[in-house]
Amino acid sequence: MLSCASKSCVIKKSHLPIDIVVPFLLFRAMPYLMLCMLSGFFLLASPKAYALSNISMTADVIQYDDVTLSQAKVTIDLNGNDQAVVDANTLEYGTARLDNAHILLDLKANTTLLIQARQIVTPQFDARNPNIYLDYRSTNPQPSLTFNAEIKPITDTQWATFKLNCLIPAQKKTDTWHCVDGLYHGERVNIPFTIDFLPQPKGVEASIQFTQASFSDVSGLHAGEKLTGKVMLSAQQVQSIWHWKGVFNWQEGELFWQPFYFGKAGNTFDIAGTYQSPMLTVEKANLQINGVGNLSASADINLKTKAFNAIRVDAREVDFAGLYQTFIQPMAQKSVFGNLKVSGRADWHFEVKDLQPQNFELNIENANIEDENGKFGFTNLNAHIPWDYNGPKQIFLAYERGHLLKLPLGITHLSAEVNRYSIVTPQLRLPVLDGALQFKDVSAAWIGNGMVWHLQMKLEPISMNSFSKALGWPEMNGKIDGQIPLVTYANKQLNMDGQMQFNMFKGMIAMSDLRIDNPIGVGPKLFANLTMRDIDLGDLTRTFNFGSIEGKLEGDVKDLRLENWKPVHMDAIVQTADGKHTKKVSQRAVENITALGGEGTAAALQRTFLRFFKEFNYEKMGLSCQLRQDICKMGGVESTPSGFVIVKGKGAPSVNVNGFTQYVSWKDLLARIQRITDGNTKAIVD
Amino acid sequence: MTKQLMMVLFSAVLLMSSMQFVQAAADLEANTPVISAIKTSMQTRHVQLQSHYSAGAIGLTEDGMIAVKDAGAVPLSQRGALAGLVKDENADRVRLYKEIAVANGHPEWQGEIQSTFAGRWIDKAQAGWFYQRAGAWVKK
Repeated sequence: MLSCASKSCVIKKSHLPIDIVVPFLLFRAMPYLMLCMLSGFFLLASPKAYALSNISMTADVIQYDDVTLSQAKVTIDLNGNDQAVVDANTLEYGTARLDNAHILLDLKANTTLLIQARQIVTPQFDARNPNIYLDYRSTNPQPSLTFNAEIKPITDTQWATFKLNCLIPAQKKTDTWHCVDGLYHGERVNIPFTIDFLPQPKGVEASIQFTQASFSDVSGLHAGEKLTGKVMLSAQQVQSIWHWKGVFNWQEGELFWQPFYFGKAGNTFDIAGTYQSPMLTVEKANLQINGVGNLSASADINLKTKAFNAIRVDAREVDFAGLYQTFIQPMAQKSVFGNLKVSGRADWHFEVKDLQPQNFELNIENANIEDENGKFGFTNLNAHIPWDYNGPKQIFLAYERGHLLKLPLGITHLSAEVNRYSIVTPQLRLPVLDGALQFKDVSAAWIGNGMVWHLQMKLEPISMNSFSKALGWPEMNGKIDGQIPLVTYANKQLNMDGQMQFNMFKGMIAMSDLRIDNPIGVGPKLFANLTMRDIDLGDLTRTFNFGSIEGKLEGDVKDLRLENWKPVHMDAIVQTADGKHTKKVSQRAVENITALGGEGTAAALQRTFLRFFKEFNYEKMGLSCQLRQDICKMGGVESTPSGFVIVKGKGAPSVNVNGFTQYVSWKDLLARIQRITDGNTKAIVD
Repeated sequence: MTKQLMMVLFSAVLLMSSMQFVQAAADLEANTPVISAIKTSMQTRHVQLQSHYSAGAIGLTEDGMIAVKDAGAVPLSQRGALAGLVKDENADRVRLYKEIAVANGHPEWQGEIQSTFAGRWIDKAQAGWFYQRAGAWVKK
């Protein structure tokens, strides 16, 4: 009989059957398996420890290998029921603590052992009402270990049921343990599994098969359904470093990991690395994704801080379509790149160190990209886009042809220098139709959370004929060219210095004082002044099917303000220029101008008289609009007591058109213009 | 004289107290191009949100926003889109409250406008939709 009355009683035992710690938690169910195992191994050692004739012992602390019992009372009754009972306030094994542990060892039955406790506390999870039952009776073909408990991860609020039955092999240290009927079941998780477990001298090998498993977090944004697959894990401890590897084979089911959705099974993930607390090193991880290709990665992760110290990702010869659908589209859903049809191949390399992107390289080979909304498209796109945190890199992008809206783009080669968070290039030339769009002195940088850029632009002459045809506009003639001095964008505001000028219809249209607030956000606001000089009215009216007018047109739009791209303010006047050129207006144009003036507008001319002439001389014609919110105050070239003069005739035959309705809604005015320019209105002269 | 003075004082007190009751009410129907753009965007999205409201996947929160109530009501393949819709809707709602406050000339009213709208959304919700009351989901 051993009686221990001292404050601390230490029982030392030299031999441990299996020394095992599962080193990392790659899989959600892993902590529970770990708990089961460590409980089992503790128990395996137990029968020998208590194979004494008669023990009664109380102690404040009992240390038994890695097990520490506090406030323990051990009673072994060999004469009556051949039972040993251990009650302890706490039982600690490694980082796990069992509160109110009750251990029942039935020696008569050679041998069963039951451990019960109020709860088990570990850093990763809590378990309550655990039952660990070890059945060593000779009547069984093979001894078995059963574990069940309610468990929950520390971070969770929901308890789940966990159970597992294992057959204990003859050679516990070297034979495979077969565990069946494993189940982890809770409100949002149901993982039926089996596990084969092979202890190693200083490590473990396990193979877990899960069938029709499902799980979800509270938000439902990390969830899997009907998952069937296999996980193979092995770990070996060499000195203080654990070497581990795993293969995840996913045969069935679907997975959503916000924002990525993996609907196609048939994916394999194999991973290997080392672990030395707290650093988990992933030396090599290969992810073979069905329909995408092979991605390989390596990473250093600090498990204490959960920080990824270093990540390297490599994807070689990846199918661009699969890569786009699986990884890019979910991230870019709301952007202009959110609805693309792509093909081709891509190589991708990415490195992060101390949460800071280090370098990046994307190579795209023979890709075709087509926006399903028809906004843009590129054929045979090749790109080499490197980036390095520590130094400048040269990026190249080329395509054989493309389109922006309906504008065809010709063969293009672009290059620029990218330096950390800025990109600069002296010149970019985008061939468009028979001309080109030239960007000069382009510079963009990401500062803080915002983007800052500036550029100059020049439009090399494009024939209006092909330009108008491409956009499905009325056919125009002549050439358009122009330039934009300097545009800057900062603090969500776009500003233009100087005057943007386009030459068309033998004249010039210019925009100055341009400012756009929040151009790509909600509720953009635009401020600008416009001028128009020497526009050939002959060309213009022929183009827009208005009825011929000979003369020159000039106009000014002052204090133009658009909110959400709709005009809410302007002082606009469009009128014919004075000068010695021909000033003639056709009968049909007179009808259209009359319509433009709205109700009450009248050609002050006898209709019978109008009928005799195809065209008339005029001195001046014009319309003005003072727009305030939705109401336009109309005016003409002169005021009359009852309205305004739109066309002032001269000589013979001449015509006068007067307007009387001074206030008109902008919507109505647009509708009038629409009716006239759509060409459906045919001038009817009685 | 005293009587007159009393009358003046009385009137002054009356005037001051009545001024307190002249509470400037916010025009919740204020319309500017920006507000109408936000409303259009929300109306377009509402078509997609409607089935999620009915299925109980999403619900109206007490602070005038929407939230995912039960993502499990939506297939995995559509969860990303659902999360996106909720995020965009809430961004629009914040902008709407802000712009209405600005249109009223009182940007500081944004919070009150938001809580007024919160009640309105719930009033307008169809039967069967979920809304939050004291942190818990309630079926209308």
